[in-house]
Amino acid sequence: MRSHETFRVQNAPLWPLLVKELWEILSGRALWTMLLLMCPLIGYSFFQAVSLYAEASAAGQRSPVLASSLSPLDGVLVPTLGASYVAVTLLFPFVAIRVLGQEKESGALRLLIQLPYRPSTLIAAKLVAVLAAWVLSSVPAFSALAIWRMLGGHLSAPETLNLLLGHLLYGLLVGAIALFAASVSESAATAAIVTLAFTIGSWVLDFTVTGHPGVLEWVARLSLTQVLRTFEQGLLSAGLVVGISAALCGFAALATVWLPPGVHFRNKLFRSIACIFATAIVLGLAAQIRLSIDVTEDHRNSFPVADERVLAKLAEPLVVTVHLSPEDPRYADLQRNVLAKLERAMPSVSIRLSSGRQTPATNSGDDSYGDDSYGEVEYAYGGRSDVSRSTSPREILPLLYGLAAISRPAPTSGGDYPGYPLVAPGQVALLWFFCGLPLCVVLAWWRSRRLPEPIAARFTKEVQP
Amino acid sequence: MDGVYHLVSPRPPIRGNTPLPVGTPCGSEQAHDQVLLRVDSINKQYADQAVLTDVTFDIRAGEIIGIIGPNGAGKTTLLEALAGILPVDTGDVHWRGRPLRASRRNEAIFYLPDGVRPYQDQPVTRVLSFFADVYRRSADEIAGTIEAVGLTPVLHKRVHSLSKGYGRRLMLALGLLTPQPLLLMDEPFDGFDLRQTREIVGVLRKEVTQGRTLALAIHQLLDAERVCDRFILLADGSVRGVGTLNDLRARTGRANGSLEDMFLALT
Repeated sequence: MRSHETFRVQNAPLWPLLVKELWEILSGRALWTMLLLMCPLIGYSFFQAVSLYAEASAAGQRSPVLASSLSPLDGVLVPTLGASYVAVTLLFPFVAIRVLGQEKESGALRLLIQLPYRPSTLIAAKLVAVLAAWVLSSVPAFSALAIWRMLGGHLSAPETLNLLLGHLLYGLLVGAIALFAASVSESAATAAIVTLAFTIGSWVLDFTVTGHPGVLEWVARLSLTQVLRTFEQGLLSAGLVVGISAALCGFAALATVWLPPGVHFRNKLFRSIACIFATAIVLGLAAQIRLSIDVTEDHRNSFPVADERVLAKLAEPLVVTVHLSPEDPRYADLQRNVLAKLERAMPSVSIRLSSGRQTPATNSGDDSYGDDSYGEVEYAYGGRSDVSRSTSPREILPLLYGLAAISRPAPTSGGDYPGYPLVAPGQVALLWFFCGLPLCVVLAWWRSRRLPEPIAARFTKEVQP
Repeated sequence: MDGVYHLVSPRPPIRGNTPLPVGTPCGSEQAHDQVLLRVDSINKQYADQAVLTDVTFDIRAGEIIGIIGPNGAGKTTLLEALAGILPVDTGDVHWRGRPLRASRRNEAIFYLPDGVRPYQDQPVTRVLSFFADVYRRSADEIAGTIEAVGLTPVLHKRVHSLSKGYGRRLMLALGLLTPQPLLLMDEPFDGFDLRQTREIVGVLRKEVTQGRTLALAIHQLLDAERVCDRFILLADGSVRGVGTLNDLRARTGRANGSLEDMFLALT
């Protein structure tokens, strides 16, 4: 005889829900189709990256100086995983939307919502399914890394793991956006449009407003594509990780708010505003976190170790005033080679773009047409200041030591990055990505579609003799 | 705990994680006097159209109550409102005398909607396992449920390949695997022929003897008359009559009238 008691939330085990979510995502065509599409996409990117790297390496093997500029992170990992980024942006939303959209369209959500789980638990379980889908859809990328190693290529563990972390966070963020979209939309098609509005909208933001000052610069920072850039540069930024996690939790919380159908629209709206407000506060706090680790093997994001040690001891604030327009390539060089490194090395650095939109000086003689100070960068430290037009640390660091009235530290010997040139045939990978891996995917798909043998004891009563 | 439950003495309204009142087993005669669920003046409006108007009634422990009405009477809306998956404009639901918030309805009530085929890509066994595992049902209970609703021939099939009748049986099996004292079912006999309907009526009757209370929304009056102990006649979102067949006969003055006669007289 069965028991018919009231059933409280904390009584329900979590594992059946997780198992159900995993089966649901494995049963869908979306995941397997995406995997099949990713095989040639990532395979061809990997082949091209390895071929170009081999061409550069051929010259690098004759010159140690050239060799030292050959990094697998830039040459192979970033372009190969870049293809994964495109697929996650355009295809992964359809996989993630299915996690919730299918139940919504079939009416199964009306059963699910009555099970003894909180809406937040249901969304968390669906995020686990999204994570599993991301791991599966990354199999082509993982296999590319394995092939690179088999070809004799070098992989730096911190660089590789940091890049994979970036892609994982990006995938989960896209998944959380998709869950939110599926939660607020009545159909999967609408949810797909909402999600693509976020992902493709980010590309539009990148193309249109990046490099513009003021509000537009702030808007450009909201672009999802910004998520990966820092990781691709080999930086592990605590602020960025906290920020992405906050955005991810924010979208998951919004999905939770909009999931239960038995709540009035007005209440959902108030709760959503509270979620957005809380997320905005955490994002604001995350933007203040300056801690970041340079995980690159060549320490490209840092000054030499001796300089870093001295700069870390300069306690007074350094004020840098840049007389360049943000879209000027020299500003990008200065930012990458000097300013970003200074911000990481010194305890207090503030960077100002000089007010007003400046233009380069011309020979017309008309002062209003140009600006003689354009291109100058002013450094002020400890009541003294100096000006330079250089974007190279070789000139800027001595200038700063002069302002701080200290001598330049002696460079430490050893630890130079050797570079990892490799001339390897990339064609062998094509066979795997165009034949072997797709075949494995199809077999796995077929295996997942096989009906399970029912456990006799569980589903049928024993026949008494 | 088997059997039906007494109405407990009045307690403060349910807040937070306070357990819902759970009764103790008693005889079915006593049980029928216990009000399990009280629905008090529920109103629901879509735009300018009133779908439910001042709906008030009781559901007693251990009974099968039929919510009777033509298509568009508001039966499904009422069931969804009771289950807490549709917000109402005004009105309260009380469980054993205590207010029951919509967010906690799933502790006392389970609702089987009409026209739902859950998890269509999955085999029947997997869907059954999911519900059974959530509620920690034993192998005996699962096998008993499958046998009772006659799902054995289609256990290996995927849900999308089931006929309408077997789809219904699957939904019924899921409902029977849930432990909530009150089970709401929307059109449970839709898709069944006469013989199958009688078979399912037997299953539902057995479920009631095991301590459950059922509320069935039915538009086929003959089916309703066959299975229900009491009836709520619903038309245009309003309750037109509540009671046993005899109560309704007395009210309409038709001593030998069928449910159909009563329905026509009251609506």
